[in-house]
Amino acid sequence: MRSGADPRLVLADRVEQLYGQMWVGLLGTFAIGAIATFEFWDQRLRDLVLFWWGLVLLVTGASAALLFAYRRSTTRAENAGQWLRWLGIAALAIGASWGFAAAVFFPSHTDEQQVFLAFLLAGMMAGGIPVYAASWAIYAVYAAGIVVPFTYVLATFGNRLFIEVALLVPMFYAVNVAVAYRLTQVFHSAYRLRHAYGKLTEDYSVLNQRLERQLGELEEARRQVEASGRKLALFADKAPIAVLELDADGRMTQVNPGAELLFGYAEAELLGSKVEEFLVLPELRGEFARQWAALIASREAVTGLKIRSPRRDGLQVVCEWTVTPLVNPEGTVIAVIAQGQDVTRQLEAERMKKEFTSTLSHELRTPLTSIIGSLQLINSGVLGELDKDVAELTAVAERNGTRLLDLINDLLDIEKIESGKLTLVPEVFKLGDLVREATVLNKAFGERFKVRFDFVGQMHSSPQDVVVHADRKRLLQVMTNLLSNGAKFSPEGGAVEVTMEEAGPHVRVGIHDRGPGIPEAFRGRIFGRFAQADSTTARQKGGTGLGLAISKRLVEMMQGRIGFEPREGGGTTFWFELPRHIS
Amino acid sequence: MPDRPLVKVCYVEDDEDIQRIVRMSLERIGKLTVEVVGDPMVAIDAMKRFGPDLVLLDWMMPGMDGPTLFKKMKDHDETKALPVVFITAKASQQDLDDLMRMGAVGTISKPFAPKDLPDQLRALWAKAP
Repeated sequence: MRSGADPRLVLADRVEQLYGQMWVGLLGTFAIGAIATFEFWDQRLRDLVLFWWGLVLLVTGASAALLFAYRRSTTRAENAGQWLRWLGIAALAIGASWGFAAAVFFPSHTDEQQVFLAFLLAGMMAGGIPVYAASWAIYAVYAAGIVVPFTYVLATFGNRLFIEVALLVPMFYAVNVAVAYRLTQVFHSAYRLRHAYGKLTEDYSVLNQRLERQLGELEEARRQVEASGRKLALFADKAPIAVLELDADGRMTQVNPGAELLFGYAEAELLGSKVEEFLVLPELRGEFARQWAALIASREAVTGLKIRSPRRDGLQVVCEWTVTPLVNPEGTVIAVIAQGQDVTRQLEAERMKKEFTSTLSHELRTPLTSIIGSLQLINSGVLGELDKDVAELTAVAERNGTRLLDLINDLLDIEKIESGKLTLVPEVFKLGDLVREATVLNKAFGERFKVRFDFVGQMHSSPQDVVVHADRKRLLQVMTNLLSNGAKFSPEGGAVEVTMEEAGPHVRVGIHDRGPGIPEAFRGRIFGRFAQADSTTARQKGGTGLGLAISKRLVEMMQGRIGFEPREGGGTTFWFELPRHIS
Repeated sequence: MPDRPLVKVCYVEDDEDIQRIVRMSLERIGKLTVEVVGDPMVAIDAMKRFGPDLVLLDWMMPGMDGPTLFKKMKDHDETKALPVVFITAKASQQDLDDLMRMGAVGTISKPFAPKDLPDQLRALWAKAP
């Protein structure tokens, strides 16, 4: 905040004061000048008196013009110094016109008139004090204009009394200037005070405005905090999760209805008690105490903390907790907010899912063991040499048995993918080569359904030369899935067409069948797990309903996209896109 | 390492098809003497009678699973020291590790290659205490 008064403003105020009173001086000069002209009128001195009167009129007229110009000026505050100098000149002129009167009229007139003139001059000097009090220098100039010629006339008159008076006049002048000086100081102080106060008021007003604005902002912030608080309270009250507020010692200071419902304890029972006494199994309390101490020491939020808790009814629940310490600016933990979600069922479901997958893979592997094992024994020749055709067929059977085994492995794959345990082995290769290889490898499968795979558009070499950075084995798996689906749903004797085209920065592989199309109701979940439009299809044509789910996840893991669309003229096009590799 | 060659194998398995394949593999290719037991509940008695050099156990069987049978074998003097190999469709590495911790000599995954099975068993037999 600024303090003190601006000297420029103080000067401007003083100049304003001087010009404000100027008209009084001018009016006085004019009126007294007129009286003096009348008093000193003498036929002998007619020209001199008229000259003086003309001088008075000229000086007062010029001063009035100066006053008028000042009043009209729009920059008088900025140019206060200049206006002060002009005023000084005007004051000197007025003073000098009276000095002139003293010089010419004193010697030439009678004693009575001399007394009158002396009285007049003294009056003009004294009267100048209030008019020019705002600037003692201007007063000094003005009074000097009167005093100097008058003193000279008195001193040179040849009269002893007048010489004595001539000695007194400068003293009178000095006293008057001293008084004017004192008055100027008073004015100066007053104006400084006024400006300082004005500035204070201005500063105060600015401060006040700022405070008001801040108050407004604070008020708004308070409203927002209140609204957030209400929302938070509502959320805590209605949330299907347990929300506990604890102090740094682990005592519960607030619990929400979700917590009461989850653990079966009433709020009143829990409040004030240590959380581990109620919500941690006795055998886990030691570990809990260690974790709590670490939490308070680190002051960092912990998420995904699974704790098995006893319920009031004797059952147990497993909750996954997010625990957030609230820390004040001094770094002290003032409260701990714990949000717990019941994951008991989720864990059970995960366990069951794992068991299911394990059982399923066992049930599928067991018959495969018999099939592949039998075929291997036959193909090994230990049972005797086989006829050529038989050997070929048993080889086909063994190969496809192995493919079926791969499918079971797919089942395990999706488990790995969904649990984030599957890692890809990407390499750079020509996508066209892989697509062609896939059609050849799946030829036997297609023949089972009397469907052939046509890699059309093979004349256009450009898309086939496109190189991708992907997991070759897994992409082959995707192709196998899409081709086998195409074969299964195509009419006998038909063809599944395979195309490749460039799609911006991607390359798109399309597998086009002439099957019955995807039922509308099934489209939304076609890439889901165990998705089969018609459960009889699975029995008739095989398939676990996992193929598309695995394919989607694998393609997405390779930064690609997969989808399908109805094919013009009947059937479906499945496609996937992969980013082209730019070396 | 045992000081004699592997001759007699007792195989406990409920699936008849697999029994047949394993028997054929071990007898025809491996030239071993094989006793197949379909019911795990009578397996210990069968082992006592047959006196195998090595026992081949399936994991998942109705009535009693392979690991349980393995534990029960420890309760009988005649069977407690027999080297055991599991043949299982259990897929995870953890399952296989669990079997090894229980004291199995080795594990063979289903589906296995019948022509390689005798060699696999002999290799495990060589590692048996």
